Amino acid sequence: MPAESQYKSYMVDRKLIDTDPHFTEGCPSCHRGDEKASSREKAHAGFVKKPSMDPGLCGKCHDKIAKTYKDALHFTTAGLRQGVSGRFSAREQKIFDEKVFQQSCRSCHASCGDCHVMSPSIAGVSTGLLKGHQFVAKDDGKTCATCHGGRVYPEFTGDFGGSADIHYQKGMTCLDCHKKAELHGTGVVYTSKTDVKEKPACANCHKPGSEKTEKAKTSHAQHKDRVSCYACHSGGVYTQCTDCHLGKGATPKPGFILGLNPRDKKTVTTLRITPTVRDTFASAGIAMEKYDSVPNYWGTPTHNIKKRTERTRSCQVCHVEKQDFLTRETLIKNGSRANELLLYSPKPIK
Amino acid sequence: MKRTVAGSILLVFLVLFIPLACLARTIEPIVSTDWLAANIDNPRLVIIDIRKVEDYRAGHIPKAVNIFYNTWAVTAGGLRNQLPPIDDLTDIIASAGITPDSQVIIAGNTDIPPNRSGITRIVWTLKYAGLENVAVLDGGWEKWTAQKKPVSTAAVKPKPSNFQPRVNNALSATKEYVMSALGKEVIVDTRDPDFFEGRKKLDFVAKAGRIKGAVNLPAMSAYNQDGTFKSKKELADMAGRAVGTDLQKKIVVYCDTGRLASVWAYLLTDVLGYKNVRMYDGSSEEWMKDPNAPTEP
Repeated sequence: MPAESQYKSYMVDRKLIDTDPHFTEGCPSCHRGDEKASSREKAHAGFVKKPSMDPGLCGKCHDKIAKTYKDALHFTTAGLRQGVSGRFSAREQKIFDEKVFQQSCRSCHASCGDCHVMSPSIAGVSTGLLKGHQFVAKDDGKTCATCHGGRVYPEFTGDFGGSADIHYQKGMTCLDCHKKAELHGTGVVYTSKTDVKEKPACANCHKPGSEKTEKAKTSHAQHKDRVSCYACHSGGVYTQCTDCHLGKGATPKPGFILGLNPRDKKTVTTLRITPTVRDTFASAGIAMEKYDSVPNYWGTPTHNIKKRTERTRSCQVCHVEKQDFLTRETLIKNGSRANELLLYSPKPIK
Repeated sequence: MKRTVAGSILLVFLVLFIPLACLARTIEPIVSTDWLAANIDNPRLVIIDIRKVEDYRAGHIPKAVNIFYNTWAVTAGGLRNQLPPIDDLTDIIASAGITPDSQVIIAGNTDIPPNRSGITRIVWTLKYAGLENVAVLDGGWEKWTAQKKPVSTAAVKPKPSNFQPRVNNALSATKEYVMSALGKEVIVDTRDPDFFEGRKKLDFVAKAGRIKGAVNLPAMSAYNQDGTFKSKKELADMAGRAVGTDLQKKIVVYCDTGRLASVWAYLLTDVLGYKNVRMYDGSSEEWMKDPNAPTEP
């Protein structure tokens, strides 16, 4: 990006200040500081860079949203805690909550402004204001795509894996499926995204029984409650992150894995490797005493959906060749013993 | 009797030549922004905007349908920029409302090489599917907006057509074809000279260098700085120096993944009139990992 446009991405439009009701009470009403001070230092004393870290501030006007958002997963990041907590003893959980969660995981939580004013900062880099400090209702490509740009967004656009998700092909973006109620919360305190009632589901739009072909109708009926939509309709490889160490991050690589869903061991689905290895939190003094209670794979709603895939074209791919199914041989080395519970071998077609 | 014979001759003529007439070009292979602005209400025109959905939503050429690049070129068999399976490609083309009678204009960004060559890659893909009336918008979105031409934010959702492809395999070359063509046909490397000479390579290409015997005709040499194409004479001179002026000559163009190469695949055939040009879709990504594929230097 040229230096001039970088600079401009942080400039607040004067006309906006004069016309947008958000600015009626002046900049200090949100950012603090002293607008009457005569020096730069004094003017910035007490300056708050991201005022909407306190949703109560936005709640002065947007009270309903602010009230629910403080419990929403994007704000609490409780899902990150939930994902690893099963590996900790009570003593380790306490250390994790104090040393790791507050300092590391919580730094990822999204303030109101991260989605509506300024592109969030990832590894210290932000692309600046979304639109000259306008309060933007949505700009998925600059907000969702920034935090979820490591795996989900590039899968969705086909920049990772090489084929755009059918929904993106049809002109849909994140917020066409992930609605306000899911993102702003409803007041219900969730600890995992999988529990959120308002999360999208394929069947919300693609009603079972409404298929255009008999082949699709039969196939869907046969696999109902036994195979997730992703397992057949995931278009190809997606990001697998491995070998995460506190402060150093994980190593991403492409892969496609099928196995039993750890949360519902009756259903075959697409699995994603969780990057937590045995010594991920060693530097924080956490040995993960219950490491083997939780598998190294989670069921994942891949964002690279296609109408036709190798598996929808031919039953043999799964039922004869058993392609991409997790096996004892392909399990990650030195992984959790719980991984073995996810192995599944498709039965031959009668 | 005479009338019957004449009628039969007329019938044969109609059966044989009218379909060909339908396939003949009725649109220039490169159209200017001024031309498009003047012809935008032509009902036969289908404008395809290949930029990202977010960019399209922020503003696009009026009447343009958005089908992002990664829809048209997919990763398959471990190779980037491959054709989608033919049933998927048929769906994609039909979803844009394209019929054999359509005049299809591909528009996109022309700021950087991958965007420029993405446009020609899709034009080549449409030709592979049997469409002849395809064109590139010269200078693309950047020129359209620089000239302050009308912009719309209303998403266009065309009625899908029942398009059926007429696959033209003569436009593409497999690795086996290229192997058999070595020393017999002109192999054209369309990458920058650093890549052609083996001084640089992309991470995913197994080794530096070129297909043995290839000549260099860089794709980006076909463009002016503003993303428009150079004049037909300039293009002809460049092409002539690299591949000669015999329009019947058999030519195979390639690059690293089959994207850059589409620039000259399209220009050589549709602008300059070369009759036998194939694109090697697998390109260096496939060739360089085969220990039996001859390379140099």
